[in-house]
Amino acid sequence: MTQLEEKKNSFHHDHIWEVIRGDDQWEPVGPTPMPSPTDLRNWDMRLMKTYKPFYAPFCDLCCLCTYGKCDLTGSRRGACGIDISTQQARIILLACLIGCSAHAAHGFHILHYLIDKYGPDTKINLGDNVAIEAPNIRLVLGMKPETLGDLLKVTEYIGQQVVHMLDAAHTGQEGSYLDYESKALHIGMLDHVGMEVADLAQISAFGYPTSEANVALVECGWGSIDTSKPTIAVVGHNPASSTNVIDYLTASSLMDKVEVGGICCTALETTRYSDKAKVIGPLSHQLYFIRAGIADVILTDEQCIRTDMPEEARKAGSALIASSDKACHGLDEVSDWEVDDIVKAIVEDGKQVLILDHVKAGEVAVKTAMALAPKRRKDLITLEEGMELAKECKTCGICERVCPNLLQIGEGLAAVAKGDVTPLEKLFNQCLGCGKCEEECPRNVPIFKIMQLGARKGTYNVRQGRGPIMDREIRNVGAPLVMGTIPGAIALVGCSNFPDIDDIVDIVEEFAKRKYIIILSGCSAMVAGMKRDENGQTIYDKYPPDFDQGGVLNVGSCVANSHITGAVIKIANIFAGLPLRANYEVIADYCLNRVPAVGVAWGAYSQKAASIATGCNRLGIPVVLGPHSSKYRRLFLSDKADDDWTVMDGRKKELVQTYEPSPEHLLYVTETKEKAMVAIARLCLRKNDTPAGRQLKLNHYISIYKKYMGPGLPDDLQHFVRNDKDLPIVYKREAMTYLKEVGWKPKPVLTLPTLIGTYPSKVSLDAVVR
Amino acid sequence: MVMPYHQVNVLTGVKGCTVIEDAAKYAEIIKKAKRPLLVLGPLLTGNPFGDKILLEYALAIAAAGNIPTVATANIRGKMLEMGATPDSEYDVIEIINSLKKPDWPGVRNEGNHDLVMFFGIRSDLGNQGLSTLKHFAPHLKTMTMCKYVFPHANYSLPNIRKDEKWKSFLEELITKLKEEE
Repeated sequence: MTQLEEKKNSFHHDHIWEVIRGDDQWEPVGPTPMPSPTDLRNWDMRLMKTYKPFYAPFCDLCCLCTYGKCDLTGSRRGACGIDISTQQARIILLACLIGCSAHAAHGFHILHYLIDKYGPDTKINLGDNVAIEAPNIRLVLGMKPETLGDLLKVTEYIGQQVVHMLDAAHTGQEGSYLDYESKALHIGMLDHVGMEVADLAQISAFGYPTSEANVALVECGWGSIDTSKPTIAVVGHNPASSTNVIDYLTASSLMDKVEVGGICCTALETTRYSDKAKVIGPLSHQLYFIRAGIADVILTDEQCIRTDMPEEARKAGSALIASSDKACHGLDEVSDWEVDDIVKAIVEDGKQVLILDHVKAGEVAVKTAMALAPKRRKDLITLEEGMELAKECKTCGICERVCPNLLQIGEGLAAVAKGDVTPLEKLFNQCLGCGKCEEECPRNVPIFKIMQLGARKGTYNVRQGRGPIMDREIRNVGAPLVMGTIPGAIALVGCSNFPDIDDIVDIVEEFAKRKYIIILSGCSAMVAGMKRDENGQTIYDKYPPDFDQGGVLNVGSCVANSHITGAVIKIANIFAGLPLRANYEVIADYCLNRVPAVGVAWGAYSQKAASIATGCNRLGIPVVLGPHSSKYRRLFLSDKADDDWTVMDGRKKELVQTYEPSPEHLLYVTETKEKAMVAIARLCLRKNDTPAGRQLKLNHYISIYKKYMGPGLPDDLQHFVRNDKDLPIVYKREAMTYLKEVGWKPKPVLTLPTLIGTYPSKVSLDAVVR
Repeated sequence: MVMPYHQVNVLTGVKGCTVIEDAAKYAEIIKKAKRPLLVLGPLLTGNPFGDKILLEYALAIAAAGNIPTVATANIRGKMLEMGATPDSEYDVIEIINSLKKPDWPGVRNEGNHDLVMFFGIRSDLGNQGLSTLKHFAPHLKTMTMCKYVFPHANYSLPNIRKDEKWKSFLEELITKLKEEE
């Protein structure tokens, strides 16, 4: 009996049935429609039996209630009884709730805006090549949304779950770290649903590119902005206002006379709307660009905006228009004013404003930029000026102490003082753009201004966000991916707290050359295009934009990350023929055991990133993180070969100890890009690889290992060789010698490995066999 | 409470490291350990003293104290270049994950280690890993060799501004470890 059948004849059952239109028979309703926080708890517990939460407390105290502060060091408990593990898991849940809320609220807001504009019956339209329009929504809710109005029902469900889970974080509620993690996994899963809502609405109503791979290349980088023109910088994630800037410019025939550039995900959204808009750069370039004063107008929406934007904009002499109720910045709301009055107040009085009418915000931004630009100078610093300013630095080291990326800033400034900007160029690529260094400098050295000398000012390119992966692409790659002959699909997603911005390009290049599929989103998608090789080409010039081997594609902004999980889900559905509808455990089990997808959040910094990664983990997708991400406090690690790797052989219906740690971890931090690349190759191994597929994957694993770790073989190779057919020919002799040395024994080869049947579940083993 | 060099590592808690400046004291603690372990990170390719890279000092410490080594990140290649083979390879998070289990057999299969030294790991990641061991591995002590304060370690060097002083410390430590009891 499924969870829903148990609830028959109840209000709860009827409500779910009505929301998902259960009588529609596009697929039978699976076991967990609109799951409650505990419906998938057993799946989570099974995952965490292998991939145990690993905690690195960022803070030893709990400061959340007035019992405290409570010291939780070691085995101590807080006044409420909480221990350090449970407190970490609680903070993780809170982070996931914030992240999920950010995306879901983005979706909720954009839906309301678009429904007001076009009506609730507006059809979801992803073009002719995307029939499975909402894999996350279908999978989690069991609903097949057809209109914007349907999507609104999805956000209502997410909102209800978020409230429920936030309640669980209250003092004196949940008392188990595993249950907190299960709740975090639940919210992470819903985050992908919320992201999908937002992007489906945007694609359908804004006419973003969809159902095609070869979308346009758009200009990227500081150099793409023609500073002689009035310039509007749109900052954040939500395109409600920035699309109105484009609309007004288009309607007024001003598109060629005004520059519109974006920072962070609004850049990707706006360039999806118009390929004449520009991508200025990632989040880490935000403060640099703002302080450079190139923008005549800064138009903010939501998320990842500097919270001191009013002060920074004023210092730079740029006008500031805030346009989201989530980030009002203390500004006076002038939504009811006449446009010309607002422009006059901004231009003549320097007023910074909040405009919640997006159409008006667009018009005001354009008119203000055109009025202000002739009055402003936009000169970047010269080397001579920089040398003079840098001489003020006495290399006291205070800037280094406060740098979150531990950079040796003083050395760079000392070089500039001597006329050498080379170290500064390296520093600029590593800098997270927080401004702490300048804030703490006892001699008030304008470090950010000097750093302009190190900024890459060229023009690069990034491929437009293309939205969902097309169904026919899934059909083409489903078999080779699951069999292993395409060695993996690697998604580099999210924020820009990279140890070094060039790491992204290097990782993409390494795996694209090896014919893995590379999917990018968010700030990672931008920086991937911000490096030219010796032939002047970016990775977007060099690799095809297809979801196919060796392809490098950009799905879009943060909320487009849902298309990455969506593609993995669709492989299970389209290729393997497993039903999606409310069938989460079966699909997640398939993804974990059979789809070689790996996420890489190399510069993750936000709660959104925590939530996205947690959602991937519940779906069985391993994620590799950069070194900063140890501050997220929690990873999901196995005990490697020492763990119990027993799975069910779905065909023989018997438990098999495979002795194979694949995938080895679910959430994993590495310190260097080199180690990350080795880990990524290893995490693409799956138990159902065919011998040919395993050979190919091991070939890459060994080859990458030798390239970055030195000669010899990985010391865990024996765990991933099932029999001699798995050994790549080129390394066979060396590997056989090694395997003999370590006493390797052959292992079983499974064609249908599954966790279903290894833990209490209402899903029968027959459900995974197709 | 001693402030760490890097502000991201400021301790928000009550149990911080003991800062030790005296190489002899460090050597004494290491010598007392039954099964010490030296975890080596990628920053050891750095050459702050202008004569030889940090890894050479690290390997000299390992040799002087007969201490097994773990190569993390991509330091293995450099070790091999220098003719040294690590006793084991893990990434830093993985070795910490193993160390926190009291019954883990250790890199030489002789039982878990009782003193773990970290050298050449970026300080934010290192301090986070040390936090894990502080909270979840009461069966072992931790020590750092980098020139910064690591609040989550049991024993840490102070923030050393002059690299020459750090160099002297490492050299003296090697000498002391070589001395017979």
